[in-house]
Amino acid sequence: MRLLTVGGVIAYRALFNWATPSMFVGTLLVAPLFQLLFFAYLGRQLGVADDTFYIVGNAVLSATLACVFGGTIAIANERRWGTLGHVLLSPRSRTLIFLGRALPYAGNGLLIAVFTLTVGSLLLGLRIPASAVPGLAVTFAVGSLSCACFGLTLGALGLRFRDVWLISNVSLALMLLLTGVNVPAEHLPEWMRVVGGWLPITHAASAARLLVAGEGFGAALPSLWREALVGLVYAVVAAVLLTLFEAESRRRASLDTL
Amino acid sequence: MALAIEARDLRRTYRTRTGWLNPRRVAIDAVRGVDLDVRRGELFGLLGPNGAGKTTTIKMLNTLLIPTSGTARVCGFDVVSQTREVRKRIGYVFGGDRGLYDRLSGLDNLRYFAELYGVPAARQKRRIAELLELVGLAGRERDRVEGYSRGMRQRLHIARGLLHEPEVLFLDEPSIGVDPVAARELRSTVAGLAATGTTVLLTTHYMAEAEELCDRIAVIAGGEIQALGTADELKHYAQGRRVLEVQAFGVTDAQVKGIDLLPGVREASVEVLGTSQVLTVQSDAAVDVQADVLRALDGVRLGRVTARQPTLEDAYVTIVNGVDRTPATVTA
Ligand SMILES: Nc1ncnc2c1ncn2[C@@H]1O[C@H](COP(=O)(O)OP(=O)(O)O)[C@@H](O)[C@H]1O
Ligand SMILES: [Mg+2]
Repeated sequence: MRLLTVGGVIAYRALFNWATPSMFVGTLLVAPLFQLLFFAYLGRQLGVADDTFYIVGNAVLSATLACVFGGTIAIANERRWGTLGHVLLSPRSRTLIFLGRALPYAGNGLLIAVFTLTVGSLLLGLRIPASAVPGLAVTFAVGSLSCACFGLTLGALGLRFRDVWLISNVSLALMLLLTGVNVPAEHLPEWMRVVGGWLPITHAASAARLLVAGEGFGAALPSLWREALVGLVYAVVAAVLLTLFEAESRRRASLDTL
Repeated sequence: MALAIEARDLRRTYRTRTGWLNPRRVAIDAVRGVDLDVRRGELFGLLGPNGAGKTTTIKMLNTLLIPTSGTARVCGFDVVSQTREVRKRIGYVFGGDRGLYDRLSGLDNLRYFAELYGVPAARQKRRIAELLELVGLAGRERDRVEGYSRGMRQRLHIARGLLHEPEVLFLDEPSIGVDPVAARELRSTVAGLAATGTTVLLTTHYMAEAEELCDRIAVIAGGEIQALGTADELKHYAQGRRVLEVQAFGVTDAQVKGIDLLPGVREASVEVLGTSQVLTVQSDAAVDVQADVLRALDGVRLGRVTARQPTLEDAYVTIVNGVDRTPATVTA
């Protein structure tokens, strides 16, 4: 348990490039807010959807940068410091070591989403029913966690393949398009919707929309479960990849373990 | 008495692929049949030139690599199938700048690895404080590692390797790139560890380090152990010889080859020392080759010429020079 929590937090400070206050505020808090405003005003111009649609969608989306890159960094940056060999010499469970590293990023994402929603609503004058607040917090937490697990999968690939940052970048762009946060899902071709259904935050976004519309937690629950399932799948994939790569490395010296 | 490390006919071949359009497979036999028996509490040296297979041997013993063939046990546990048991009992330190989280303080680096290496939470604080004291980093532990000197990093590496009080410590070229004063402190730390009963397997290519520290030394070259014994025993390899050292400026490889072929000469090698070269010629003790050597160096500006008794270093040169150092085989 300590390995999961204390270990995760130290690793966060060790590996996260943006762990300085100015980088954090600039990249993770201010940028998503402008993105929200951009889409909201664009939406007003084009009359596609109302402010609420964009505020909620972009609040959920705001967590992705921190979570996806965070998850990737949390594993792939071992390469940068040359610490992987020392980590792999641990007799302890790989799952605990690496999955614990996703937790701080998920917490990070939750914070960012709450901030973006609050400030976005204040700026654009959206009123969120008080009864929806606890449900929204849970939704953001689940969305961030599943995003961070997606990041871990990419990070695991990053141990083996140098160019994983390319995948991280592309997947962030895909999330903008396919998860229904800025483009209503019903406007997307069928296959894009299917792909979106297996990306993190798609289901969290629909849950958040239901909650803000005052539908109640019960209505949002099925979407939340789906989001949790997507996150779990990525966590399992990450764990399996890490196991495979470690075993392969012992046979073929395929990881930079020194 | 039980053995701390026991290796039987360890072999490791690396297979790599080079080229993309016209790929060629390269097989490198990095380690070719190593047998080792290291007793508990022993300070054992693995001495060899670059590329001899020292790191590969250590990585097989510490579970990071699986041997291509052969077996090894550490504290009685198999390094392939009982990795958890082995990992609990070993520490691993290697030379160089990397391998630490630069953004964290030394203290946080140790905290994190204490967690990874399973030091009980209640013990961690005391253990880390002890180690900081041992390696002389107490007082600097809250500074970020990115500001540490090479020597400080190296000492932090050692502290990390000792966190979980390993029974066997692997030290892979710990003094590489460390200044002479720091290297001496490092040696006294290592000697201190061995005195407390920790088994140490030390690799190095510095003769003096091996001679000063190690109970026994194995000389490895070309992936095979060429000689094994105490420093005194190894000196026998150069027994019955005498050594001529000539300081020179501008000796060519061809001249060295020529000297190597002179009657009575056993080894000839050149080392660059600052602006000058030092030519070392080993010959049979009964033959005085000085006149012949100086004649072969006709035209080269020379400095001091000295004759002396052979040292461990000469023995090492004798052992290593006879070895074929091209372990790679290429197949299309
Ligand atoms: N990961 C690797 N892939 C291919 N060849 C390697 C790898 N690691 C080491 N080698 C080769 O194996 C040989 C032994 O290397 P190493 O064990 O590192 O020697 P040492 O530590 O004694 O300098 C060298 O020829 C080296 O180039
Ligand atoms: Mg080496």
